[in-house]
Amino acid sequence: MNKASTREKTLWTILAVFYACIVLFPVIWLVTMVFKPADVMFARPTVFFFTPTLANFDYIIAQGFLGNMLTSLLLGLASTLMVILIGTPAAYAFARFEMKAKDDLFLFILATRMAPPVCLVIPFYLIYSNLGLLDTFFGLTLAYMTFNLSFYVWVLRSFCRDLPVELEEAAALEGWSKLQIFWKIIFPLLRNGIVATSVLCFIFAWNEFLFAFMLGGKSVQTLPVAIPKLITAQGVRWGEVAVVAVIALAPVLAVVVLLQRHIVRGLTMGAVKG
Amino acid sequence: MSMAIQDASAPAASKKINWYPYILIAPTFVTLIVVSLVPFIYAVYLSLHEARYGVVKDFVWFDNYIQLLTEPAFWNAMYVSGLFVLIAVPVQFMLGLGGALILNRGVAGRSLIVPLLFIPAMMAPVVVGLLWKIMLAGSWGVLSYNVVERFNIVTESSIFGSPHYALYALIFIDIWQWTPFMMLAFFAGLQALPPGPYRAASVDGAGPLRTFFKLTLPLMAPLLFIIGLLRIIDAFKVFDTIFILTRGGPGTSTESLSILAYKMTFDFWDIGHASALAVVVWIIFFIFCNIFYQVAKKKLNAF
Repeated sequence: MNKASTREKTLWTILAVFYACIVLFPVIWLVTMVFKPADVMFARPTVFFFTPTLANFDYIIAQGFLGNMLTSLLLGLASTLMVILIGTPAAYAFARFEMKAKDDLFLFILATRMAPPVCLVIPFYLIYSNLGLLDTFFGLTLAYMTFNLSFYVWVLRSFCRDLPVELEEAAALEGWSKLQIFWKIIFPLLRNGIVATSVLCFIFAWNEFLFAFMLGGKSVQTLPVAIPKLITAQGVRWGEVAVVAVIALAPVLAVVVLLQRHIVRGLTMGAVKG
Repeated sequence: MSMAIQDASAPAASKKINWYPYILIAPTFVTLIVVSLVPFIYAVYLSLHEARYGVVKDFVWFDNYIQLLTEPAFWNAMYVSGLFVLIAVPVQFMLGLGGALILNRGVAGRSLIVPLLFIPAMMAPVVVGLLWKIMLAGSWGVLSYNVVERFNIVTESSIFGSPHYALYALIFIDIWQWTPFMMLAFFAGLQALPPGPYRAASVDGAGPLRTFFKLTLPLMAPLLFIIGLLRIIDAFKVFDTIFILTRGGPGTSTESLSILAYKMTFDFWDIGHASALAVVVWIIFFIFCNIFYQVAKKKLNAF
C-alpha cells in the first residue's frame, strides 16, 4: 500500500481522535459523576465544572455493595479456575490429535457458546428449583460453564495450534510420558494463551447478568444484578450508581490495557488473530 | 475411514484407537453435556407438554409450536429482532470497515487509540444500559436535555418511553457499542494482508479505489463474512441492554425474541410455550453457528 502523505495522516488522526472522544464520552461522563455532588448531578443547565467530593462512596460502603463485589469476584475466580482445570487438556487434545467425529464434537462446543442465554436459563431455572440449586454459589459457577468452558476450549485451541509440534515429538523420542509432555512442555508454552483466555473468561463472568439475575438471589447477588436495583428504586442516588458502575468497569479497563492484542482473537472465537 | 492416529507421542504403527485425546476431552464433555445438552433436551421435553407454573401436565405433541407460530407476539418479536439486526449490523459493518481502512492508512498515536476503542465491547451490558439511561433518559438525560434545550424539541417523556423511537434508541446503543470492535477486528485483518499484491498493484498504477475493490475486498471477504456473521448472531440474541432500558416496552415495541422468551417464562409462567420458543430460537442459532464454523474452517483456515 502506498504511503499516506503527512497531510492525509493528520486528517485521519484528527478524525480518529474525534471518534474516540465521541465513543468514550458517556464513559468519561460516568467517571466524573463519581465525584460529583448530588445537587449538581443533573442540574439544568448541565454543570461541567464542580468541586469534587467523595461523599458518594460512603453510601456504597454502608449499603453492603462490598458484599456484592466480593460475590462477583469469587464467582469469577471460581468459575475461571474450574474452566482452566477442565478445559486446558481438551483444548490441547483438539489442537493436536485426530479423533472420530472431531468436527461434530467441536461444533457442539461452539453451539454451546453461541446459544442465547435466555434459552438456557429457562430449563436451568426449572432444573435448579427442583434440585435446590437456586441462589447457591455452586449452581451459578456450574451455569457459567456453559459460556465460559466452551469459549475457553475453543479459543485456547487456536493458541495451542500456534505452538510448534517438534518439541513434543523430540520429547516423545526421548521417552517422556504423555503427562510429562503435557506438564513440562505444553503447559509452560501455553501460559500466555491460558492467561489471556482465562482473563477474558473472568470478564465474561464478571459482566454476566441474566444467569446471575435468575439463578442467583439474596445470598448470591453479583454486582451487575445489584446495579439495576439501584436504578429502579424511587429517588435514584445517581452518584452512588456511578460509583458501583465504575467499580464494575474497573477490571474491564485493566484488561483492555493489558490484553489488547488478544481481545480480537477472543471475541471472534479465534477466527481472527489479533 | 482412517484409523491411523498420528500424533507426537503414539508409535506410528499403532492401529488401535488412541484413547489419550478422549481422556483429555472427557471432563469438558461431561460438563458441557450437563450444562448444555441436558437443559436443551429438557427444553424439548417441556415444549412437547402442556406446562404452566412449573407443573408439567399432558403430552401435547406439537401444539405449543403450532400455537407459537400463529401468535402475533412471536412474529412481532421476529420483526423486532430482525429489524434490530438489519439496521445495527450493516451500519456497524460499514462504519467499522471505513474506520479500519483509516486506521490502516496510518494514524498517529494508534497504539494509544486502539485500546480505548475496545472499552465499549468489553463493558458489562448492565453498565452500557446505565450509561445510556444517564445520556438519553427523559428530560434530564445529559444528551437528551441538551438537545431539547438547544433545538427546542418538545419531548418531556423519555425516548425509551416512545413506542416509535425506543427501538431505534436501542439500535443506536448497539451501534455505539460494537462499531469500534468491528473496526479493530477488520483492522487486525488488514494488518495481516500480504504486502506482495499491493506492491504489484502500485507498479501497475492501480488507483486506491481499484486497489480496494480488486484486491482488498476479495482478500478480506472471508474475514468480513465471519465477523459479520458473528455480529449477526450476537445482535440477534440481544437481551441485557433491552431488559435494563425498556424491558420490551412500551407495549411490545422493543420485545425481541430473547425478551419474549423471558417474559413468557418469568412473567406469565407459560413454560410449554416458552420452551417451544427457546427450541425454535436454538435451532436458528445452530444453523448460523454451523455456517460460521464451515466458513471459518474452509476459508480462513482458522480452526
